[in-house]
Amino acid sequence: MSTNASKVCLLGDFGVGKTSLVARYVRNTFSDSYLTTVGVKVDSKEVPLADGAVRKLVIWDIAGKSGLDALNMSYLRGASGLLLVADGTREATLRSAVDLLLQSRSLLPDAHAILLINKLDLVDRWEVAPATLVELRKSMTVIETSARQGDGVEQAFREMATRLHA
Amino acid sequence: MNGPSVNDRISPELERQIGRLLFEKMQPLLLEFDRDWHLVNLHGDAALFGFAPDDAATSVQQLQDLFLGMPMEAAIDLAFVQMPNGRNAHVHLMLVDGGHQVLLIDAQGEHDRQQAQQQVGNESFLIAQQKDKAVRQLRQIRSELESQRNRLQEANALKNALIATLSHDFRTPLASIFGYLHLLEEEPDAPLETRNSLRALRRNANYLFALAENLLEYARSETRSSLLAPVVTDLQMMVEDLDQMFRVQAEDVGLGFSITLDQEPGEPPILDELRLRQILVNLIANAIRYTQSGSVRASLAWRGGSLVLSVRDTGVGIAQEASEAVFVPFNRAGNAGNGGAGLGLSIVKRLVQQMLGTLEFESKLGKGTCFRIELPDLTHLVQKVDARAESEAGQMLAERASSVLIVDDDPDMSHLLGEIMAGVGFRVRVVADATRAVEQALADPPDILLVDVELPGLSGNTAVFRLRAKGYRGHVVTISATPTEEARKVALNAGANQFMTKPINIEQFTRAMLRVRRLD
Repeated sequence: MSTNASKVCLLGDFGVGKTSLVARYVRNTFSDSYLTTVGVKVDSKEVPLADGAVRKLVIWDIAGKSGLDALNMSYLRGASGLLLVADGTREATLRSAVDLLLQSRSLLPDAHAILLINKLDLVDRWEVAPATLVELRKSMTVIETSARQGDGVEQAFREMATRLHA
Repeated sequence: MNGPSVNDRISPELERQIGRLLFEKMQPLLLEFDRDWHLVNLHGDAALFGFAPDDAATSVQQLQDLFLGMPMEAAIDLAFVQMPNGRNAHVHLMLVDGGHQVLLIDAQGEHDRQQAQQQVGNESFLIAQQKDKAVRQLRQIRSELESQRNRLQEANALKNALIATLSHDFRTPLASIFGYLHLLEEEPDAPLETRNSLRALRRNANYLFALAENLLEYARSETRSSLLAPVVTDLQMMVEDLDQMFRVQAEDVGLGFSITLDQEPGEPPILDELRLRQILVNLIANAIRYTQSGSVRASLAWRGGSLVLSVRDTGVGIAQEASEAVFVPFNRAGNAGNGGAGLGLSIVKRLVQQMLGTLEFESKLGKGTCFRIELPDLTHLVQKVDARAESEAGQMLAERASSVLIVDDDPDMSHLLGEIMAGVGFRVRVVADATRAVEQALADPPDILLVDVELPGLSGNTAVFRLRAKGYRGHVVTISATPTEEARKVALNAGANQFMTKPINIEQFTRAMLRVRRLD
């Protein structure tokens, strides 16, 4: 197995756009139709880094849930990075993302974690207040993303790759 | 009856059958790797899971990636993993003889069933959430609209109060202006230039008066119910007054002008005099304003318990398409250049409706317009004793009056009233506040008390009330700048015999005083 590869898991409530984020990042595609994920979809992409190195991300798009069950815990094993995904238009999904992070810490105490607030293209409908994000940024990296338009997506995965490489 | 036989072990044959069945259902693919993850053997349908024989390295790499970071010392189970070709499988890693075996079991059917169930559940949840959100937003919008409506209503009330206050405050100075104009116009030897100046003054004062009346009516209509104030109406006096008001104005712009009255003998009509006057003022003023040449002819006819009035002009006319718009406030139906606030016809229409009358008009562009209004007698609405009492009280005062006490803080107004009263032989005293008026009226009771309502300190009504309470029996005429039924009632309840509004009809007032002297 290649040593410069890392497993990164996407966690978040259903419908927040995890599958769409991966599709945008890996294949640069987007679909408006919502198809719920059952189990896990695994993709990979090599990320060239600033120092010339290349980090391969093996990206696990895990079925959306507001809490971690045994099945999802089994998918998390071996992960070095966690992308917690919330939907800006549904504030409850932000609480789910934070809960998922706290639950996953028992299994992955050292995994890098980045919080993605997706659906930036619908920012006029966001329930998540800017002040909330300011508070969250004091304790973790938060990136606003839009799978539909691509905003922040590349940045999020590159940031994760950079941290994993460091 | 014997029950079914129970065996602890499945027979080898049955086990083989079950195995075959499961094998066919699960379509397993077993991949055997050595300790360095080199594929050494493969059992099953590799293509089912997207493993291409000619690109085995890539496929193997993808499979290896599934176990990235995981400890390889024990078996690993991963359920519902999507393979590179999109097919879902359960993945089992087993450690065998230092190497690895990976078993893929087809899970597409189970995956699809679960996905269908979850899809329905998730979509329902999302729709319900969106619905709740939409309902919350609608409630918020409704609440915002309500508070916005309240703010607008407050602003509107403030605006109306401002208009009412301003137009009310116009009345007192206008009363002085009309009164002194009247005195000056009576001068027989005034030079032509002076007479022209006086005409200009009267013309502009008329305009100001009409504007103030309209603004007040406009504001009043939105702030209180439209109570009618039926009184015995002297149509002859009104016609003469309007003739004086508009004849000069019409002649100054080269228009012929006439206003006539056709009144059958009998009881005088009971109408809302103030509103009737306002209707006529607006219609005639409008007719003169929109007539470049020709004439303006007004007529009043009192027959069979109804008043028919018409105002005909030879002016610009009203286009068919503007026949509704002319009655909209602040709309001048394309005649914006001719001045005026655009309130006149809207107020006329409203007043006619309030007086239970009808309004119609005929018009031809460039030829002229004729408004025709019919108003019923309002006797049935009036408390006859009240209505006639004022008139009869006027007769009573006429029989014995010889002294008058004028109470007004406006020196111009009190001087004007003093001039008029002195001119018809009254002994005149003037005071500027209610307290002194009470003192003087009790010390030396006048036959007539002319008292302004709006006084500094005590109001004129309070003064009248105090005087009546102390036995004063003279004739009280209350003068107010508030031409409303409420104001009239308050004044009469306080003890006044007559209620007059500013600007005072000097002709009418003077004639009444003259009759007093004659009878006296």
